[in-house]
Amino acid sequence: MTETKLTARNVDVFYGPKKAIDNVSIDIDNGIVTAFIGPSGCGKSTFLRSLNRMNDTIAGARVTGEILLDGEDIYAPTMDPVALRARVGMVFQKPNPFPKSIYENIAYGPRIHGLAGNKADLDVIIEQSLTKAGLWDEVKDRLMDAGTALSGGQQQRLCIARAIAVSPEVILMDEPCSALDPIATAKIEELIDELKENYAIVIVTHSMQQAARVSQRTAFFHLGNLVEYGETSEIFTNPREEKTKDYITGRYG
Amino acid sequence: MNSPDWNSPAAAKRLARRHAAERRFKLIGLGAILLSLAFLALLLFIMMHSGLGGLSWGFLSGSDSTDPHVAGIWSATKGSILTMLVTLVLSFPMGVLAAIYLEEFAPRSRWIEWVEVSINNLAAVPSIIFGLLGLAVFLNTMDLPRSSPLVGGLTLALMTMPVIVISGRNAIKAVPPSIRDAALAVGASKVQAVFHHVLPLALPGIMTGTIIGMARALGETAPLLMIGMRAFIVTPPGGVTDPSSVLPMQIFLWSDEIDKAFVQNTSAAIIVLLAFLLAMNGLAIYLRNKFEVRW
Repeated sequence: MTETKLTARNVDVFYGPKKAIDNVSIDIDNGIVTAFIGPSGCGKSTFLRSLNRMNDTIAGARVTGEILLDGEDIYAPTMDPVALRARVGMVFQKPNPFPKSIYENIAYGPRIHGLAGNKADLDVIIEQSLTKAGLWDEVKDRLMDAGTALSGGQQQRLCIARAIAVSPEVILMDEPCSALDPIATAKIEELIDELKENYAIVIVTHSMQQAARVSQRTAFFHLGNLVEYGETSEIFTNPREEKTKDYITGRYG
Repeated sequence: MNSPDWNSPAAAKRLARRHAAERRFKLIGLGAILLSLAFLALLLFIMMHSGLGGLSWGFLSGSDSTDPHVAGIWSATKGSILTMLVTLVLSFPMGVLAAIYLEEFAPRSRWIEWVEVSINNLAAVPSIIFGLLGLAVFLNTMDLPRSSPLVGGLTLALMTMPVIVISGRNAIKAVPPSIRDAALAVGASKVQAVFHHVLPLALPGIMTGTIIGMARALGETAPLLMIGMRAFIVTPPGGVTDPSSVLPMQIFLWSDEIDKAFVQNTSAAIIVLLAFLLAMNGLAIYLRNKFEVRW
């Protein structure tokens, strides 16, 4: 049973005078993984970052059109971007744990949002988040070690655990495996597959194989336009658009 | 394309010329270092030679006097400490907050660019000008007590603040943007991201810059001349509003004395000032190593 979680209507994103995203409309459903693919510079990461207003931090970035989370306009003046980002979490391209302990990395979010009443509650959140991120068994005996001392793949799972810890509804992933080796990538992909039960997941990826493996829906971006959006199986076997076909068969990009 | 003939006499000559150039450069570089070290050694030797004999408990704990054998450095040392405290208390928070605002919060605009240029210029303004400013504002307009560590500290804080702003901004800029992204993405506000994550990582760099700025202020004489800290002080200041001298001023005053015996006092005072500066620089290195987080 899927329901629409995020709705974008006629979204344009500008960096100064430059239009990076042109009139994109898309529905993103709960309980599945949606992949954004396309050549470098096509605007897929820009569009992803507009879904939790991370673009607000870039000087000169401007979003027009409408993006709704459960029917609520996330760019409305009544929407607090701080609260929004707790509901729409994000995992970045390069693992970016805080230079603190594993425990502190995950405790930070729940602490600033007041999610844990006491230390015991916080400990539970930390164990649950690490378990969901598939990292608990590897780190349970060294929670006070530096998060930055973990391997690249472990660091990325720590970042996923950190995002999960504030109980988001949507998780945005911006090329989460591009800095990882194939084994670590496989683990993250497995994890994404498990997590989709409870979250709407959007993943930007350069790897078409990855999109085909982990996603149920795929959106193909090109030069700031959403060229084609549909079931992943359809996009990869029977694309409607010539451009999509050229891209997935490796003719450019 | 022909591959060069490495065995030809011409090639051998070219190679030899390049090696000779390399040796020449190393020699010149070494010479430059030795020359500057030699001057430092000479300075230290002269100071130690003529000053060490004057260092005694009586000298360290005494106050200025017309009799060179009774005169001591404590009143000037205490004046320096009080002045530095006033400078630190004012310039550190102000400089750090200004750096944070400029680096993290200020919108990119003409006005902000203008502020940035002004701060950079302020750091390069000759110190005597700050002394004139102190004289005009703190003494003549605000009527604060003349010759006091309070006014000295205020004047030196004006001078030190731009240094702290500049080093603070560089330290903040050096924190990877991914750390800010990480904090914002879990729902931290901008202020939380800065104060919980960016500032702790930037702090060692900020402290290093601060201490270097403070060390510069400690050795400053010219601006303090303007605000009357060159008085003959025989009692150590009891507080920041009492008339007082500072170490470099005491050196300046003694070096001007006719009595030959003051030469030893001057050198001994320079040793005390140098020890002070070395201690501050040592502290800067210690703090940087202690709080530096590697990631």
